[in-house]
Amino acid sequence: MTDDMHDDTTSGRRVYRRRKVLAGLGAAGAAGLAGCGGLGGGDGGGDGNSGGGGTGGSEDDIGAAFDEFRGSGPLAEGRGDVGGTRIADLPNLSGELTIYLGGGEGGLYRDLLAKFERIYPDFTATPRESGSADAANTIINEGGATPADVFWSVDAGALAAVSAEGLSAELPSEVVDPVPEAFHPDETWVGTAGRARAVPYNTEELSDDDIPDSVMEFPEVEGFRDAIGWAPTYGAFQSFVTAMRLLEGEDATREWLQGMLDAGVTEYNNEFLVSNSVADGALNGGLANHYYALRVQAARPDAPIDLAFTSGDAGGLINVAGASVLSASRNQELAFDFVRHLLSAEAQEFFATRTYSYPMVADIPPVGGLPPVSELNPPSIDLRELSDIQPTLELMRDVGVL
Amino acid sequence: MAPGGGVGRVRGLLASDDDEPNVAVVLLAAGVAAAVLSPLLWLFVSAADLSVGDAVGLVASGTTTDVLVNSLALVTLVTGASIALGVPLAVLTVQTDLPFRRLWTVLAALPLVVPSYIGAFAYVSAFGPSGALPDLLAEYGLGFVNAYIPTVYGLGGTALVLTLFTYPYVFLTTRASLLSFDTTQLEAARTLNHSYPRAFRRVILPQIAPGVTAGALLVALYTLSDFGTPAIMRFDVFTRVIYVELNSFGVGRANATLLSIQLLAVTAVILALESRVSGDTAAGYGTPSSAKRVVSLGWLRWPAAGIPAFVSVFTLALPVGILTMWLVRSGPGYSGGGLAFRPEFATNSAYVAVLTAAATVLFALPVAYYAGRSDSLLARAVDRATYLGYAMPGVVLGLALVFFSSRWLLETFGAGAAQLVYQSLPLLVFAYVVRFLPQAVGSTRSSVLGVDRDLVGAARLLGANPRSAFRRVTLPLISPGLLAGAALVFLTTMKELDTTLILHPTGFTTIVTYIWRVQEAGYYGRAALPALVLVAVSGLSMIPLLKGSDDA
Repeated sequence: MTDDMHDDTTSGRRVYRRRKVLAGLGAAGAAGLAGCGGLGGGDGGGDGNSGGGGTGGSEDDIGAAFDEFRGSGPLAEGRGDVGGTRIADLPNLSGELTIYLGGGEGGLYRDLLAKFERIYPDFTATPRESGSADAANTIINEGGATPADVFWSVDAGALAAVSAEGLSAELPSEVVDPVPEAFHPDETWVGTAGRARAVPYNTEELSDDDIPDSVMEFPEVEGFRDAIGWAPTYGAFQSFVTAMRLLEGEDATREWLQGMLDAGVTEYNNEFLVSNSVADGALNGGLANHYYALRVQAARPDAPIDLAFTSGDAGGLINVAGASVLSASRNQELAFDFVRHLLSAEAQEFFATRTYSYPMVADIPPVGGLPPVSELNPPSIDLRELSDIQPTLELMRDVGVL
Repeated sequence: MAPGGGVGRVRGLLASDDDEPNVAVVLLAAGVAAAVLSPLLWLFVSAADLSVGDAVGLVASGTTTDVLVNSLALVTLVTGASIALGVPLAVLTVQTDLPFRRLWTVLAALPLVVPSYIGAFAYVSAFGPSGALPDLLAEYGLGFVNAYIPTVYGLGGTALVLTLFTYPYVFLTTRASLLSFDTTQLEAARTLNHSYPRAFRRVILPQIAPGVTAGALLVALYTLSDFGTPAIMRFDVFTRVIYVELNSFGVGRANATLLSIQLLAVTAVILALESRVSGDTAAGYGTPSSAKRVVSLGWLRWPAAGIPAFVSVFTLALPVGILTMWLVRSGPGYSGGGLAFRPEFATNSAYVAVLTAAATVLFALPVAYYAGRSDSLLARAVDRATYLGYAMPGVVLGLALVFFSSRWLLETFGAGAAQLVYQSLPLLVFAYVVRFLPQAVGSTRSSVLGVDRDLVGAARLLGANPRSAFRRVTLPLISPGLLAGAALVFLTTMKELDTTLILHPTGFTTIVTYIWRVQEAGYYGRAALPALVLVAVSGLSMIPLLKGSDDA
């Protein structure tokens, strides 16, 4: 458990800013592949989080080889052992659950469910997917008749909407305790993986010192003039503008959007293309979710791209995917245990290494030398308010961004 | 008038079928209309959540006015452009000696199988910012041209894409009218020294007008209900704003309801207008008779073939090209079992589409028969009512059915009833029927109109009872119309996304829900293959729509 990664987590924010976040890919991994040695689980940093449960069952049954959850490719290679609570230390899953999946990670989530089913032959998960808002509206229309036991959505706003209708059960403390409070503002839902707003930049054109700590200063950055990109139709970008509107006010946001237009910002259809153009050198920098740069990096390990993060403002927003248990469910105990499995070391490693998202449990580090979530300085904003996008869209249209 | 008792009896028998259809048919037709209208009740149930003040405020707000103006502008443009594109193509492929007529007929009808959201995606990837075209131009040192290319977003782009993928409705209905047009009338006009254009205006146009209008109506209502294209092309119409409101929860849900009611009102106005224009002699696709090529294009034969070819470049070559590009370029990334395409998705799609086509025809038959045989106000109302569901955005219809089949059933009949109905295949099929019934009603009604009533009378005279006369005479005669309606419903069901996502039985993945899944995850490359499969399978359903026509 003494790999470089833990040294990094203790250092300050400026330190990771100076470090090549992405270029240091496998550097952490000299420690070698941490195999399945961790079956006993819960060593190291996991202590604080291992919770009550722990009926465990025989470890042979739960042959949850860690590598099966860990992704492959340059970003996942060489990760050491991680902390957190192992599946082996959680109560067994047995029975059937209907799970509404909201939003775009359905295929990935299905894979994770299949892995759980392989570990627990008596457990059946029946997933059902639609857009996160569609799923939330469906549950609201179903009311007490919902067949769903769990609502697992990529968007905190959808979880909050269901909770606001009084349809979500309160999660027991052993479920939510491993997750920082910002990602479970009340006990009706809990974050399972995070995505951070970030600034991909081309390392041949800029250094991270060129990128200010505040996103509000971006229109004046010389290096971004006619060389920065964004994707204004993308939901996450609109959430970012919503956050700016809530934090800085409507006028400042309007001014910022206009300033970016005046600075010659280039429009793209999605943030993968923004990040890809940064790697190509067509852009010096961009505004995108953090994992797109990692996807580019995974495909092109030599690409000159790195990530910077702004501090305490909309540019540093972290949104989460999360899960609720529905109060109409007749399988609540099983559903609670299931959500604990989503926060297990294996599942968190799965999210971290396969979608490059931010693990919600502090003991599991993010991939690619990303600063851990505890070192980021996201704005203090209630994620539930991000669903109020209509004024944002009107503002963006007014300025001519949309 | 009756010269004698015996003849009078015969006349009575002959006329019997001319009179109002019997009570059972009327009840059946009215029942169908009531059934397909019932989900829309939900709008009024949930609008009750909104205070009167808020409702008035929203209706009177600037956004609502903008949305109304935008929607009307879009409907007008798309409908007009579809007529401008569909009618000439139908005339060219039916009435002229165009080379390879059969090929051009198929190619002109085929864009209907391309889901408009895929078409819109293709157009944005081709012409949007940093799309394929600007990149290509820049590569060849023609980057400066890009400044002069109008933006693909907004009214222009939305209207263009919707027109390119919906004009076949007009093409097909016009073509059917032209095929059943008696060409000797044209010859008569020509002998009176009318030029073809003049003869077209004075003889052909009045007779095909109902067919053109029927197609134009389908285009107009499709345009109102389509969500994907305006969303991708960023144009604020009812569907897009309804969707945004649904996404913002809270009071947004009530706003979405109110906007949907306004959308219904707009639909009702369009329907009323259409019935004025088309009168009640509406012809539609589905009653093919053989037509002779009547116009020789002379030396223009080959240049004329350039018109359908040119249209096909934009409706078929471009989207298929972009899909293929995605397929080839599909980037690396996460590849797990959850995202793997399985052939069963295609069979699921085809299975539910066949069920829907059959169910829709069954629902359409009494409505079309009643509407085709009666001029009463009720008959017209029943016929028009079936069109309302077609203009509802799929997500609104889906959520309405969620409400009725889960919460309402639970509270009214208990948990057992809700479990039985909710998220079942029959419920999904019913939702599709509500959405697509008018496509089958239109073609069936026009074929009912085309049945020579004397034939039915003759059957009665020979001792057949009404039921047997229907089965042995009417049904075989209207079967091409039924089949055409079924085919149209089949292919629109294949590509329907919103309703399917919300109401599919858990675990039932279709091609479109799979495409949605991978696109949401950002893996466009993986969407290419199933999208091509979708286009290919739907293309097969074009066969009944085009069959038995230009064997001449």
